[in-house]
Amino acid sequence: MTITKATLDAFIDDHLNEQDSIRVEKAVRESPELHTLLKSIVASRDIGDHSLGAIWRREHLSCPTREELSSYKDEALDTQRIDYIKFHLEIVGCNACQANLLDLNSAKDPKANPAAREKHKQFLKNSKLLLPKKQ
Amino acid sequence: MASTEEQLLVKKIQDGDEQAWSTLILRFEGRLTNYALRKIKDHSSCQDLVQETFLGFLSNIGNFDPSRYIQSYLFGILGNKINDLLRSRDKSKIIDHAVDSSGNQLDAGHADSAMGASTWYRGDEKKKLENDALIKCLNLLIEHLLQKKDYLKLKSIELLFVKGVSNLEAANILGIDNRTVASHRHYANNFIIEHLKKLHLSPDVFPQFSQQDQD
Repeated sequence: MTITKATLDAFIDDHLNEQDSIRVEKAVRESPELHTLLKSIVASRDIGDHSLGAIWRREHLSCPTREELSSYKDEALDTQRIDYIKFHLEIVGCNACQANLLDLNSAKDPKANPAAREKHKQFLKNSKLLLPKKQ
Repeated sequence: MASTEEQLLVKKIQDGDEQAWSTLILRFEGRLTNYALRKIKDHSSCQDLVQETFLGFLSNIGNFDPSRYIQSYLFGILGNKINDLLRSRDKSKIIDHAVDSSGNQLDAGHADSAMGASTWYRGDEKKKLENDALIKCLNLLIEHLLQKKDYLKLKSIELLFVKGVSNLEAANILGIDNRTVASHRHYANNFIIEHLKKLHLSPDVFPQFSQQDQD
């Protein structure tokens, strides 16, 4: 695995899979040059420099919609699109889309689960204090 | 841009509608919990983080732009909360902020020499404009490739920009040659630079363009 500036960028954003993340972490610990580069990237971000990768990841620019993921699950898309979404999920390893797909696969009505319903009710009760007052 | 239905949901919450707030929680709770579980195995901590995420969203609801995607915004808040939680772990020690919690600049190695002097003087507003312009350009690039159904180029650029792999690794993953990947990178950079110019922004303020062709 070659560690580029963009790899370190993805590492900072926690976008690498576990295996790659461990590899990068080990390499940074062992290489003063990589460590310095990592620090310079963080410093550069702190003063507002832009990174295409960071923006792409943060804004989920190429993520399929929830509806598309649902169609992907049902294989109701054209083959090229299915192939791309598979790539986005498995090779790029998009955490947000993986979480969405997992949620779609296990989707059930939380209202049907008494414990979840109670928890939802409790959280709603506590959080509604923060809701803006009705005009 | 968020769907009309989503924008309406935000508007209702901004108007203090409890039912709309309940709908939003039910809609996003599952995916957020699954996202947190990928990073933190403890289910109870994940639930706490998700609840804090919702509270974070709600406490800033007055300033939330309804045209923004709620999902991206919530994942952003949650991601920061996860990072905060992981900060105490080993990994974070090697990516400590260059600025401490009091806002003091820490030693950033050779960072200073790597930054253009002009960077220091750019105001927040200008940075936001640049950021928005880059989002626009990247969106245009992705839409353009999707319209042309040029998935190979999109995959190649996504590997380079998002996953941060080298040209050679991208070529190996996609089963194409190194030169083709280099041409994809070149294409993306040129596309973005051209569109930045159309927005009357100089590509010089984006250091990445001068560092892209290193591999």
